[in-house]
Amino acid sequence: MRKNLSRRSFLKISAAGLCASALAGCSKWVPDSEFFGKKFTEMSPQEVQETLRRLEEKYTKKFGLPFSVTAEPPRENTVFGYGLDLSRCIGCRRCVHACVRENNPSRNTEIQWIRVLKMNKGGFDLEQADQYYSPEQVPEEGHFYLPVQCQQCENPPCVKVCPVQATWKDADGIVVIDYDWCIGCRTCMAACPYRARKFNWKEPAIPKEELNPRTHYLGNRPRMRGVVEKCTFCIQRTREGRYPACVEVCPVGARKFGNLLDPKSEIRYILDNFRVFRLKEELHTEPKFYYFFSLGA
Amino acid sequence: MTKQMKGQMLFIRGLLNVMFKGNALFYVWMSVLSGLIIAGAGGYVIQWQEGLYISNMRDQVSWGLYISNFTFLVGVAAAAVLLIIPAYLYSFKAIKKIVVFGELLAVSAILTALLFICADFGRPERFWHALPFLGSPNFSSSVLAWDMIVLNGYLGLNLFIALYIGYHRYHGREPKKNLILPVILLSIPWAAGLHTVTAFVYNGMAARPFWNASILAPRFLASAFCSGPALMIIIFQILRKTTDFKIENKAIAKLAEIIAYAMAINLFLMGVEIFKEYYSATHHLSPMQYLYQGLHGHNQLVPWIWTAMFANIIGFFLFLIPATRNRLLTLNIGCMLIFAGIWIEKGMGLIVPGFIPDTLGEIYEYMPSQLEVIISAGIWAFGALLYTLLARAAIAIDMGRLRHPEAPPAAHDEEEGPRAKDIMSTKVITVSPETTIEDVSKLLVMHRISGIPVVDSKGKVIGLLSESDIIFREIHHEPHLVEKLGDMILPRTIRASDRSGSTAGEIMTSPAITAPEEAPLKDLIRPITEKKIKRIIIVDKENRPVGIVSRIDIVKALEHIAP
Repeated sequence: MRKNLSRRSFLKISAAGLCASALAGCSKWVPDSEFFGKKFTEMSPQEVQETLRRLEEKYTKKFGLPFSVTAEPPRENTVFGYGLDLSRCIGCRRCVHACVRENNPSRNTEIQWIRVLKMNKGGFDLEQADQYYSPEQVPEEGHFYLPVQCQQCENPPCVKVCPVQATWKDADGIVVIDYDWCIGCRTCMAACPYRARKFNWKEPAIPKEELNPRTHYLGNRPRMRGVVEKCTFCIQRTREGRYPACVEVCPVGARKFGNLLDPKSEIRYILDNFRVFRLKEELHTEPKFYYFFSLGA
Repeated sequence: MTKQMKGQMLFIRGLLNVMFKGNALFYVWMSVLSGLIIAGAGGYVIQWQEGLYISNMRDQVSWGLYISNFTFLVGVAAAAVLLIIPAYLYSFKAIKKIVVFGELLAVSAILTALLFICADFGRPERFWHALPFLGSPNFSSSVLAWDMIVLNGYLGLNLFIALYIGYHRYHGREPKKNLILPVILLSIPWAAGLHTVTAFVYNGMAARPFWNASILAPRFLASAFCSGPALMIIIFQILRKTTDFKIENKAIAKLAEIIAYAMAINLFLMGVEIFKEYYSATHHLSPMQYLYQGLHGHNQLVPWIWTAMFANIIGFFLFLIPATRNRLLTLNIGCMLIFAGIWIEKGMGLIVPGFIPDTLGEIYEYMPSQLEVIISAGIWAFGALLYTLLARAAIAIDMGRLRHPEAPPAAHDEEEGPRAKDIMSTKVITVSPETTIEDVSKLLVMHRISGIPVVDSKGKVIGLLSESDIIFREIHHEPHLVEKLGDMILPRTIRASDRSGSTAGEIMTSPAITAPEEAPLKDLIRPITEKKIKRIIIVDKENRPVGIVSRIDIVKALEHIAP
């Protein structure tokens, strides 16, 4: 009898504890149409439109200002390429902040899609680089600056390893993520040689006055906790024929952008007239992000 | 309620009974585990609400304690194969008896590993995106998608084997060999594949030089074949101490031997890797430097990896030297050292340096947060609880405590050696009681046999007619012949009887001495020596003859055992 009692009470306590924790856990989350939704690439055009309207309504309600969510497809005969003039970059990080204002990354975890590395002159050793420099004035004596963001690889290792096809390379060469399909396993982050991918370690928070309500489904629309994000060459701008925010803001004109398939584009001019290199070419990722030097001394 | 449903209910009730009823020590153990599980669940609720921010993982080191434990546990699961190979490829009986505990360990380890994966996901509720048909698993390029297939496949294989054998034992039936053996054999390459594919998840990443070494998969297997058996030896000794289940020393000795070899290979492979990195001293050396020496003043993992190194080396020598390997105390110390050593080496010692320095050269030092530790402890406790319950069910079935009421009584298959069915001649000729002696004599001569079972109309044995019976019939009218030859040719038990008649039924010896198919050699020898008979009829459960064991069969069997 004593045995029986202790067993029963023991079972009861554990069962109650488990139920309570399960309930507490689920109370914040109820399966909805988002949960049962389709992967973006498998939606019919009509389903895409329905999803975009649903999201606009949701964001408008959530943030209290009118949102637009588009899904502008890649333009014909376009593959985007990026040029970065290391001889001009002064490490001012205006690109970093313009990117933050444009792309709605979470402020409470300070997600930044561009990282600027302060490098020692006379070498190219990343281990000697400093990402957290904060002098009174840039540039600093003895250093040059290496901004790094998603390199939009032609052979993206992140796409290769994603277990659920939540990230892919679109026809214009931009590597995109379906935030509603990502399971948050972070394998892509381990696979990326450029630390381009950022994770939403907690529920993103952005002050209302800093939100950018003009968004793209695969780009700067508001993200949720537990998914990965990264630079998309400002897909919401560039697919409408505008420059990425970082290119626009750069005070020294170190950032160049254009269509690699257009012989008259700025990026093609750079490839034809300067010596360029790409980061970690030995990994065969084939970035479409070219570093170059336009100035001598 | 149908009969079948009733039977199932009975099974479930019996199962719950043997799983959850135990002594005080059992309840203490279960309470501790449940406490840890509840604490872990509580921790997970916080993680669910706050996000993985509660961990110490960040963009620089994006995998941590969860994935470390996952990797380690997959190795433990793969090591179940080390029981299957000696048991089924080499028919090592002492291990065959305990092989089910290896399979259940694999089941528990895989489920625990999957829980660690779920704990690590940012959006665990979207796990179905990774499932075939429902979601969109990234075949063929994502190794992780493949890993999910091999993991779940391995879980399925081991679950099937354990359930199938357990269910048949419950009913007192022999498992169908041609059905289960292919599955068991398949699980051998599957185990190696499972751990190889898991190694490939890391191995395939060119961005992480620490993992991007071809030696990673072999090292995974070598270390798994140390840590898995080490855990099993500890578990077996606990089972021996706390239950009535017998596990032979030679089974444990075999595992200990395997650990010695596997650890030798593991240490060798590690040395090879260290040489390559330190001698060539390229940029790829940095993660290893961080791990073993510290890098640019960051050295949080250094004490851990050296603890692991010493544990593995001391453990290796304890297992290498027969004197310490065969003493239970030193054996147990060795097991614990190796388990802890590999857990560090292949857990945090493998995952974290992959991220340090990160791909842009930054060093972010990672040590798990308190909540990560609590959640991980909860998941480990879940694994231990699951294994406890499964092992209790397996023992109860094996010892015959959990058995279908209509199942035949459990055979005492304690001793080894051949059984009646292994040594009997299966060519059985029978006669009915009405057969004439002339016909029986012809049969005996034609088939060159000296005895023949007599069966009734349903085929059941009612007696045995031997050449002695026939000779006795011929000579019983001549008392002087009986006097002279009786001791030489007649079974003494029937000597006094007066046999006359012209049919098999009239002169046969009845009842005949019979034995079941499962009877061990010992049970066959006893009647032959005690009752002075020449052969035993082997019968099935319905008392129908299925074979004959004659004295020469027993001599041959004995010759086989002790050549």
